[in-house]
Amino acid sequence: MIADKRGVEIRRHLTASPDRVFAAFADARLVERWLRPSPDIPLSVRQLDFREGGAYRLAYHVPDGTTVIVGGIYRTIEAPRRIVFSWVIEPPDIHAGIQSDVTVTLTPSSGGTDLVIRHDWQGRTDAEARHADGWRGALDQLITELEKA
Amino acid sequence: MIHALAGGKARTAGALGRQFRSAQPTISRHLKVLEHAGLVERRIEGRTHWFRLRQQPLTEAAGWIARHHAFWTGAVDQLDRLLSDKAERDRR
Repeated sequence: MIADKRGVEIRRHLTASPDRVFAAFADARLVERWLRPSPDIPLSVRQLDFREGGAYRLAYHVPDGTTVIVGGIYRTIEAPRRIVFSWVIEPPDIHAGIQSDVTVTLTPSSGGTDLVIRHDWQGRTDAEARHADGWRGALDQLITELEKA
Repeated sequence: MIHALAGGKARTAGALGRQFRSAQPTISRHLKVLEHAGLVERRIEGRTHWFRLRQQPLTEAAGWIARHHAFWTGAVDQLDRLLSDKAERDRR
């Protein structure tokens, strides 16, 4: 488990073969059953065009009644080893419009799969549009975070 | 260095050097590291380089990272469970 300034990396060994893990990313019916932070947040796959250049769109139904929509494009698909796709949350959301890329790597290992998910933050294309009010609060938070590090 | 820039105003490397009583190359090196880490932004006016903290983008990234770290950790748990359960059922 790594969280550095630019992204997140998750590594896990799964007992399933790379082909089966890969299929879990490629099939909308399977994606719905796991690509969510918890079983308490149901996922509806609105679109999943699993090919290079194809688009996907996921709708997360948060218990408080809101729906979070995430979408992107598949940039690279190399079955059954590697998948790269963009990931952007749609408004309204505090992180709406932040560009990012997910890289999934599947490596055969001991009959199962070493899975690596790298999710890289790229920031906003409209960074200058963010209003500065409240930055003092953010600054205090920053100082605290840095002092903890 | 972070605290010196925490006032919110842009400062030059020279002014920071005087405050820290450090040699210019040392200050420049520190500022470059902070800039590379996304903590500090540089504005060039003629021959003067102004440095300022980038607070908002960093804390927003930190929030985004925490959220997505929790997301993927939870998702991979469920992926593991889904594939294990399926394999179990397929074996019966």
